[in-house]
Amino acid sequence: MAESVRQHYTDKEKQEIFDNEFLPHIHSMYNFGYRLTLDRDDAKDLVQDTYFKAFRFIESFQKGTNAKAWLFRILKNSFINDYRKKVKEPNKVDYQEVEQYYNSEDVDRQITPDLRVDALKDMIGDEISNALNALDVDFRTVIILCDLEGFKYEEMAKILDIPIGTVRSRLHRARQLLKEKLSEYAKSMGYKNA
Amino acid sequence: MSLSTNPFVSTTGKKPTCMEMLQLILDGQDSPEQREYFKTHMENCMPCFKNYHVDMTIKELLKSKCCGGDAPEELVAKIKGQIAQNIS
Repeated sequence: MAESVRQHYTDKEKQEIFDNEFLPHIHSMYNFGYRLTLDRDDAKDLVQDTYFKAFRFIESFQKGTNAKAWLFRILKNSFINDYRKKVKEPNKVDYQEVEQYYNSEDVDRQITPDLRVDALKDMIGDEISNALNALDVDFRTVIILCDLEGFKYEEMAKILDIPIGTVRSRLHRARQLLKEKLSEYAKSMGYKNA
Repeated sequence: MSLSTNPFVSTTGKKPTCMEMLQLILDGQDSPEQREYFKTHMENCMPCFKNYHVDMTIKELLKSKCCGGDAPEELVAKIKGQIAQNIS
């Protein structure tokens, strides 16, 4: 993520980078912070902390490169190192299991929740948001990065410090789990075989 | 379209599964050729047709329902103010 070469910027350049390359991502960053912590105040703290760190380490950032991915990586690291430790949330995902699941020959024969498009279209309230929030944070994260923010595998791998294969398997599993949740909602809304 | 023209076939020659093709599309990692191939494939593959539409609907719902609005103005002002102080 172009951070190995240290840059030298004047104060004016620093301010320009901050205003033109970092600040435009603040709304995405806030949403990412909120979706990770599920708390508006914690999200504010996380975003504020991320922007201060970004400024402090601005000379590790090469002007004109992928600022959004760089900022997301800082926020994710702050979340893991500071926030997660604070709330002592253990990492619950068994990645080995996920990898085995994805690499097995049975993937095409897995049981897919039988969900219909019309049932989904009736979910006009908070169902989808609640389903996303109910996922384990590591699964939630890949859905946010891919589906909400449009990051590519390579960018996600760098943001999360994991191999591309793990990004793919985690995304696959996350989509399955999300569908299971939505399927439960659809049933509770009265859709049979939804 | 024969398998030899399947743009999803990897350099190792491994035949992709339906799920692998669909995942590349869902993840936004497909090429225009792959998208075109999958559209034709879906016409003859009911599970792919169904899964594609369900998965894409979920993806669109996520985008429209979970992007959560703007960061609070006071947060933006606070960050801007502190950075300005650091520079001056």
